[in-house]
Amino acid sequence: MGSVPLAHYLALGSALFAVGFAALLVRRNALVVFMGVELMLNAANMTFLAFSRAHQTMSGQAAAFFVIAVAAAEAAVGLAIMIALVRNRNTLNVDEVDTLKY
Amino acid sequence: MEWLSAMNPAEGLQDALRWIVLFPLFGAAVNGLLGKRLGRANVHLVACGAVFASFVISAIALYTVSFGDVSRITDQWWRWFSIGNVPVEMSLTIDRLSAVMMCVVTGVGFLIHIFSTEYMSHDEGYWRYFAYLNLFVAAMSLLVLGSNLLVMFVGWEGVGLASYLLIGFWYTDDAKAFAGRKAFVVNRVGDFGFLLGIFTLVGLFGTIEFEQLKALSASITPDTVLEAGIFSGWTLGAAITMACLFLFLGATGKSAQLPLYVWLPDAMAGPTPVSALIHAATMVTAGVYMVARLSFLYAWSPTAMATVAVVGALTAIFAALMAYAQNDIKKVLAYSTVSQLGFMFIGVGVGAWWAAIYHLVTHAFFKACLFLGSGSVMHAMRDETDIRLFGGLRKEMWHTWATFGISTIAITGVLPLSGFFSKDAILHGAHANPNLFFPWVPTFTYAIGLVAALSTSFYMWRMFNLTFHGERRGMLEHRAHEGGNAMVGPLWVLAGLAVGSLVWGLPLSGGARFENFLKPVFRAADENIARMTALGAQKLGVPVPPPPAHDFAAMLPGYLIALVVALIGFGIAWYLYLGPGKDIPAKIAQGAPALYRAFANKFYVDEFYQAVIVAPLSATARFLWRVVDAFAIDKLVVNGSAVLTGWIAQLFRYFQDGNVQRYAVVMAVSAVVILWIFLG
Repeated sequence: MGSVPLAHYLALGSALFAVGFAALLVRRNALVVFMGVELMLNAANMTFLAFSRAHQTMSGQAAAFFVIAVAAAEAAVGLAIMIALVRNRNTLNVDEVDTLKY
Repeated sequence: MEWLSAMNPAEGLQDALRWIVLFPLFGAAVNGLLGKRLGRANVHLVACGAVFASFVISAIALYTVSFGDVSRITDQWWRWFSIGNVPVEMSLTIDRLSAVMMCVVTGVGFLIHIFSTEYMSHDEGYWRYFAYLNLFVAAMSLLVLGSNLLVMFVGWEGVGLASYLLIGFWYTDDAKAFAGRKAFVVNRVGDFGFLLGIFTLVGLFGTIEFEQLKALSASITPDTVLEAGIFSGWTLGAAITMACLFLFLGATGKSAQLPLYVWLPDAMAGPTPVSALIHAATMVTAGVYMVARLSFLYAWSPTAMATVAVVGALTAIFAALMAYAQNDIKKVLAYSTVSQLGFMFIGVGVGAWWAAIYHLVTHAFFKACLFLGSGSVMHAMRDETDIRLFGGLRKEMWHTWATFGISTIAITGVLPLSGFFSKDAILHGAHANPNLFFPWVPTFTYAIGLVAALSTSFYMWRMFNLTFHGERRGMLEHRAHEGGNAMVGPLWVLAGLAVGSLVWGLPLSGGARFENFLKPVFRAADENIARMTALGAQKLGVPVPPPPAHDFAAMLPGYLIALVVALIGFGIAWYLYLGPGKDIPAKIAQGAPALYRAFANKFYVDEFYQAVIVAPLSATARFLWRVVDAFAIDKLVVNGSAVLTGWIAQLFRYFQDGNVQRYAVVMAVSAVVILWIFLG
């Protein structure tokens, strides 16, 4: 079984990151924006692991664990904020949540 | 007190002089810091004790310099600092002149302390009062004893402070607080001149020690043109004239002469014993003392001498006229003080130094007595000062009447009381001493002096008659009562001194006793006057005038004229206020209301100063406050920079619109641009 070249992993990671970032920028539903962020995080994870494997070091693996931990924390806080948003303003549309200004 | 047992009192006094200053200073500290808890008896024990201790040392010093071998004792305290290479010593010197002054200050001061124990007995600020009073005595001692101009200046400012504190003693009354402030501010104008005078002398002679200045003054050549320093191009004589005039400006402030006399009548807002001590007997004579101290310099400047004499004469007559229509017993005495100080300046201005100091001493006695007498009247009449409400008080207050009468006789210059001899010594000096460069000065000052003496006699007898004779005109239900021993005692002692001090002024064959007593002090001045006269005679091409004769025969016509003048004033006052002419003053007031108002309003001098000096100054101050400070600095510069920042921020703040996704776009685009720049 021949190994997949590093470039493929990086291409997939870039694509995933781009998709996630596009979702972050254009979608109005906060939950979907959130999913975009998760996608970007996991794209970063994929890249870490690819480099780790290519260079035969473990530090990339360790970084991936940190990212997973951060993503878990982010999910916890982010979802809590969203629940609060729905309760207070009955919306998840990020365009309507713009009071933190001027 | 080891100096008491010392064999040679002069040696012991070298270390004791400082205690003349320190005793009252400690008294002030004790009363000022702890007085509230000490209780009244302890407060006045400390205060009177401190002044009495100073008096004892002063009396010993006077005895030593009068009868001992030494004529001058110096207490080298410590070296204060140096101006360049001019050392400034904190040292005290006592000679016959300062010894006399010290005995007057501490002696009269002690009597007034005693008087105050009863007069102020009901006042809540009893301890504060005595602390200030002791502070005054300490500062005045420093002024008198200082052996150089700077130590004198410290005392000069110290008495100004004490005077300010005591005028505004009842500071809850706005008018009284303002009076204190007025005195302080007017005195600052004079002090400014005093400082400039000191600087000028340092520049000219490189020393401020009186003894060194005196030694240097013997070899002055007024026509030398100075080459170095800020006075280059001036003659030495002109520079000395300027120094003397600056110093005299200081004297006009402290001693209430034209044009700076306006604070003294208002200073009557203070407690009456304060008026007696500070604003009659001692502090206000500091200017006369200063000119006498520097007489050897004034001797070289005929211009300065003439200025002093003419200002003194004008003040004497001007203040006397203002006293005519005053109805406040203290105000009459205040203007009388200004007028008598004018007499003293005539004395120092014509070179009759001893006569000025003699008048200073006798004036201290009888004017302190008069003020304490007025205090006694006020004490008896519920602090009323309007003489129109008094009358016939002789029956109720015999002691006050008698002592007030004696002092009035003394001040009006009726034979044979001390005021007659001292005032006439001055008038004689004015008449007899030539001023070659200003030949009109002797006649002018003598004539003005006579009119002022006539006025003095008139307004003093007017006040005396209105207060003590006739029938009571107001407060009919109020029964006056004489004060206790603490008030009557000092009155009698001072009245006794006002009579007794005549022995120093008797025209004996070798000159008056006081004249001979002070001769060593003023020898340098007299010699310098002789040098200046010889020089002037040479320059003007006139013969040197002979020294003035002052034996009895030469003085007799002057005596007779002065006596007649005093009696005329008495006669007019009797005729108008007790005799058949009782309704004439009212008729004059009705017939010439403008004239009467001018007199009663003190010739509108205060209003004039208000309009010409105070109003423009406060307008300038208001401009600086409202326009420069509040508008230009606060509004334009300080708040302006904040407002400008705000305006700029206003433009940029719309970037923060709360839309998180837009932030993300900006972030992404920026990241792309940055990556493009650095990686591309």
